[in-house]
Amino acid sequence: MSHEADALGLPPGILAHHFSSLARQNEAMRLGMWLFLATEVLLFAGLFTGYSVYRFQFPEAFAECSRHLELTLGTVNTLVLITSSLTVALAIHYARTDRRRAAAICLVITLLFALSFLGIKAVEYAAHFHERSLPGKYYAYEAVKIPGAAMFFSVYFLMTGLHGLHVIAGMSVLSWILRRTLQGRYSSRYYTGLELGGLYWHLVDLIWIFLYPLLYLI
Amino acid sequence: MSESGPSGRPTQALHPDDRHDQHAHSALPYFAVWIALLFFTALTYLTGKQHLGTWALAIALIIACTKSTLVALIFMHLKDSSGTTRLVFVTSLIFVGLLLFFTVSDVATRFRPATPAGAPFGTERSQPEGLLEHELPE
Amino acid sequence: MRLSEADSHALAGASAVPTYLHDGTTVMSWLNTRDHKRVGVMFLVSVILFFFLGGIFALLLRFKLLQPGPFFVDALGYNRLFTLHGIVMIFLFLIPSIPSAFGNFVLPLMLGARDVAFPRLNLASFYLYLAGAILAIWAMVQGGADTGWTFYTPYSSTTATQVFPVLLGVFILGFSSILTGLNFIVTVHTLRAPGLNWMRLPLFVWSIYATSVIQVLATPVLGITVLVVAVERVGGFGLFDPARGGDPVLFQHMFWFYSHPAVYIMVLPGMGVISETVSAFSRKNPFGYKAIAMSSLGIAFVGFFTWGHHMFVAGQSTFNAGAFGILSMFVGVFTAIKVFNWVGTMYRGAISFRTPFAYICGFLYFIVFGGMTGVALATTSLDIHWHDTYFVVAHFHFIMVGASVMAFLAALHYWFPKMFGKTYPEGWGLVAASLIILGFNATFIPQFLLGNFGMPRRYYQYPEHFQALNVASTAGATLLGFGFLIILIYLAIALKWGSRSETNPWRSKGFEWLTASPPPTHNFDETPTITQMPHDYRTHEPGGVIRVA
Repeated sequence: MSHEADALGLPPGILAHHFSSLARQNEAMRLGMWLFLATEVLLFAGLFTGYSVYRFQFPEAFAECSRHLELTLGTVNTLVLITSSLTVALAIHYARTDRRRAAAICLVITLLFALSFLGIKAVEYAAHFHERSLPGKYYAYEAVKIPGAAMFFSVYFLMTGLHGLHVIAGMSVLSWILRRTLQGRYSSRYYTGLELGGLYWHLVDLIWIFLYPLLYLI
Repeated sequence: MSESGPSGRPTQALHPDDRHDQHAHSALPYFAVWIALLFFTALTYLTGKQHLGTWALAIALIIACTKSTLVALIFMHLKDSSGTTRLVFVTSLIFVGLLLFFTVSDVATRFRPATPAGAPFGTERSQPEGLLEHELPE
Repeated sequence: MRLSEADSHALAGASAVPTYLHDGTTVMSWLNTRDHKRVGVMFLVSVILFFFLGGIFALLLRFKLLQPGPFFVDALGYNRLFTLHGIVMIFLFLIPSIPSAFGNFVLPLMLGARDVAFPRLNLASFYLYLAGAILAIWAMVQGGADTGWTFYTPYSSTTATQVFPVLLGVFILGFSSILTGLNFIVTVHTLRAPGLNWMRLPLFVWSIYATSVIQVLATPVLGITVLVVAVERVGGFGLFDPARGGDPVLFQHMFWFYSHPAVYIMVLPGMGVISETVSAFSRKNPFGYKAIAMSSLGIAFVGFFTWGHHMFVAGQSTFNAGAFGILSMFVGVFTAIKVFNWVGTMYRGAISFRTPFAYICGFLYFIVFGGMTGVALATTSLDIHWHDTYFVVAHFHFIMVGASVMAFLAALHYWFPKMFGKTYPEGWGLVAASLIILGFNATFIPQFLLGNFGMPRRYYQYPEHFQALNVASTAGATLLGFGFLIILIYLAIALKWGSRSETNPWRSKGFEWLTASPPPTHNFDETPTITQMPHDYRTHEPGGVIRVA
């Protein structure tokens, strides 16, 4: 097995001893990451369930509160995440075609996009705190005073909050693979680790693709 | 006899990355998907602002699903992945659907007076919105 | 193929190679291990410890129930006891037990693999388990929760007891469970030895695979549910609070979406153990290998469609109640298929009545009666009478203790020589098994009667005329406790002073018995090529071969 690693010119420590070949290991890593993504999908599914139930029961409140969200900021954030997905896909593309510098630059750009997402989200949250459109018992928003309004914001904060935590986690993952890229670990012979990090980031984007219309465009 | 890759399996069965093919890998699909995603975002923004009532949710979900499919297939390389990984992803979606179906069907078919106060088809709201009575400042 | 000691050693490697137990004897070599066998042993020790902790809680609450009125503890104390009993037994014992302890040890061996797919993730699973356990224990020391292990809202989001750390602990434990399941799925997909295709997998592997699928799909929903309740407690979000428009039944939907499949996490691995041991101790090929394998997947899948049967009286709609009632009927079919096939395996087999076989017998009896009472409970009209009574308590203890724990003990005794290279005292094994089966019946049959007569579960006080049955149940529980204690004692003695066992004392055809007992760290010197059928006890020379690559 180590002779395969040597033959491929891989850095040491990439091919684990219990795998019969690098292809097997790659397959295992990909399957493992997709299984993990499946668990993340189901984690958010719980919140989407809460959303569905309460939107069904309080349609007016949800529609009204949605109209009071900052649609422009939400849309900008959507574009930011979509573009960050592009840049991370490009990073992988450059790594597997042996353009290490370009890959690293793309990862840095992705991180910057991620940071902007969080920044914009912070601005939105600050606005909510200011106008008291807060979850549950803290709700005191003057503009919308119908039943279910507080529930909308409970759901909103839970969903965007959990998503935000995943953006932060995604940034740690991106930083980690950026470091590995700069160390020269990824090349056309092996870039699975980079690919897995990219997969996680795409999931963060996927979740937002659903959050955006469901929260901002009711 | 087809060529076999490093694991001894036929080349076609391998993930493209493990084939060590010589063909150039293009970044064009990624840009194409990005443009498509921008387009669909604009579409959902415009249709969303119309507040189309009953159809709004369906349209929004269809667009979101289209965008997700593009991200999953192209950005996340599901198109090139093994059947197992595709099955994993699809299965997770099926179970999300299952959870959503039975919870929404519950609230949708429930005995009317058993709905929370303030719901459009329930009885009078029993509590003021926001702070509860005992939480109001003195 | 006749497997000799020499063959086993040939596959395992030179006898100068140390076993996994002796390959590094420092504490750090255990704490920092990548070896799935060591991770399995660490899990085994932990789950056994927590089993006894949960058992102590059970004995304490049964002690209180000797008297109908206030006695021994106050009502709040009693609520804490049954909550902690449930949490410890379910999350710290039942969910991890067979998969994390025995699955970890045996799965790679059964696949002809050197380790699981992600060894470091495996170790991480163990540490996550410990972290969750420590949080839960800390919460207990602070007084514990009083919500029942089901944490129904709005009580759980408002009660003043230590619910928050318990919820956090459960979340972390869920993560551990997810990672183990993920690891096992990838292992089965990518680390099978050459020649080992899906229809040659040992039945235990099928059951662990099905369990892992449930763990990966269901546990995240529990995670988000406990997270939301934790946030409710701290932030007053009101997602499940009726006063804020929330719906407590929504909590129950989300909770039971996990917790019903969770009961299959608890029982499926046990069924896998029974499949292995029934074949080994009847010296007969499994009757209906494909049926048993596919029914494991069937249980995993259909188990997700039935959760509303826990909510018949909770206030869900009639449509849902009807739908779940019908769907719940289907899941029993798969267990019935298995029972039929296990009995078919034993029929005309050469039965070797050893301790594992005693537990098989117990298992079969308990799963049939536990399962049938489950089907009865899933009948909506009957559940109206039985819901939240001791009938339900008896039903699930029949399955979780009667079936799952029996299977755990069968696994413990069956694989004891494999894991530790020692022999346990067979006589004491049978004595303990008898005490346990007897004690179990004495504990829980009175509870079926109590439930049917109307005694509610989780109640601190009960009417005088229920006392006799309660006393009987407590007496049974004490006997049960003694049985478990005896096992702990003789296994500990055997570990230290027991006689050395042969490589394959059961003459089992399981693939894990191909290598030495205990195995060396790397399991196999060369990856074996396995073209033989699993559990093949045919006396003529079978066509398949196990040869070293």
